[in-house]
Amino acid sequence: MGTKGRRFAADIAGPAAISIGMIVLWEVIVRALHIRSIILPPPSEIIMAMVDRRDLLLTHLWPSLYLTVLGFALSVVGGVAVAILITYSAALRKGFYPIIIVSQVIPKISIAPLFIVWFGTGTMSSLLLAFLIAFFPMTINSALGFQSIDEDIARMARTFMASDWQVFWKIRMPNALPYIFSGMKISITLAIIGVIVSEFVASQEGIGYLIKLAGGLLDTPLMMAAITVLSIAGLILYGLIAHFERRVVYWQSSSDISGSGGG
Amino acid sequence: MAPVSQTKEMPAAVRALPALSVRKVRKLYNELEAIKNVSLEVAQNEFVSLLGPSGCGKSTLLTMIAGLLKQTEGEISINGTPVTGPRPEIGMVFQQPVLLPWRTILDNVLFPVELLKLPRDKYVPRAMELLAMAKIDDFAGSLPRQLSGGMRQRASICRALVHDPAILLMDEPFSALDALTRDEMGVELLRIWQANRKTVVFVTHSIREAAFLSDRVVVMGRRPATIVEEMTIDLPRPRQISLTEDENFNRYVRALRKAIEASHGH
Repeated sequence: MGTKGRRFAADIAGPAAISIGMIVLWEVIVRALHIRSIILPPPSEIIMAMVDRRDLLLTHLWPSLYLTVLGFALSVVGGVAVAILITYSAALRKGFYPIIIVSQVIPKISIAPLFIVWFGTGTMSSLLLAFLIAFFPMTINSALGFQSIDEDIARMARTFMASDWQVFWKIRMPNALPYIFSGMKISITLAIIGVIVSEFVASQEGIGYLIKLAGGLLDTPLMMAAITVLSIAGLILYGLIAHFERRVVYWQSSSDISGSGGG
Repeated sequence: MAPVSQTKEMPAAVRALPALSVRKVRKLYNELEAIKNVSLEVAQNEFVSLLGPSGCGKSTLLTMIAGLLKQTEGEISINGTPVTGPRPEIGMVFQQPVLLPWRTILDNVLFPVELLKLPRDKYVPRAMELLAMAKIDDFAGSLPRQLSGGMRQRASICRALVHDPAILLMDEPFSALDALTRDEMGVELLRIWQANRKTVVFVTHSIREAAFLSDRVVVMGRRPATIVEEMTIDLPRPRQISLTEDENFNRYVRALRKAIEASHGH
């Protein structure tokens, strides 16, 4: 535990020191060169904007956050479901895989205006875009997890007369969990992008809308405050998933990854 | 006393039905003949090793006995019933431990119990007993990655025995371990076997291992695999590692080596 704590501190200390150093440097340069706040506000002014206009920021944060989480949740449910389908049906696998691969190449952001045409400027467009972008990595990762069963494990299960149902619940599902979580970590980031872009294009609320609005008003401190709030929200969402991952995928400890798992 | 190679029936086979009977089995992979006319009988509670060079088809034979692969010709039966697929009276140990990384050692050992829908509560004491016998009961609640390779393989032996199968099939179970652990595991296996008498079919390419463990060693030649020699190992039990320094033991080892070398001749 003590060693773990010390290692954690060492992991945190480096990046933290560099980040703080960069922020201080930023503050110093902006002040020394008298850069106008409209071009690049100093960090202190961004923090001030965050404090002063917290009500405005939060008002716009909630709808974005809500749509992000909802779109993400739908992509997880949909992605895992489709992954199971293509794992068990060769026909669906053949039908879906080319579409999934091709859709990886299409910049899905470009569909945003089309969604506005179809679903209007409301929340539906944002939600669907978030879902669509987050869905594909979710599906691909989960499908990989369900399908990449160790051949020896499959043989062992057959020797002990495992039914297909048992193989699914007792082997495929736990085997897929680490893959599902890496899919979730990609998808949550993409869901945020989906919502923000959709709000850029057409919306009357949300952080994306606020960023665009502040840009139009040349209120750069507000704009950067909004970006900062959005980044913090994104980090928290990612952190929550990483936290659950450590809980759920307990057999793959971080010490495995760093290769120092003793004992 | 010189080792005698024999092809006669085992006396035990007369008393009871053979635990395992392989009759004129042949296996073709496409056009390739992997196994050619193999017949073998294993008596109840007999420890038989299938000894042969790597890739000679001995593992294929074991896979067919386990019901995971269908023979092209011939018949395999366990306690008189033909094998048509995997059966609950078989326990299998593989080259690798093949433990599920998300399950504790105890839950891994209980895995066959779960799959066969046997009452888990009733089998927990047995599982713990087996783990104690394998000297890894302290690790019942640990995850596989916290155990050494030898300990993991011991857990997989416990798993193969937990549902009290009639036949234990072992497919080169110690070949992935280092030499020292390997010798130790042989002694451990015999100790567990002594307390849990079962019919064992043990596949290996180690002559010493086969001679040390077995009641009888069946030597298989290169592809297409056939039985080239059967040798009863008439050494006292329980066997300790000191047996490997015994002159009688080494005479068996030499005789087995000669049989394998002779099979390379043709």
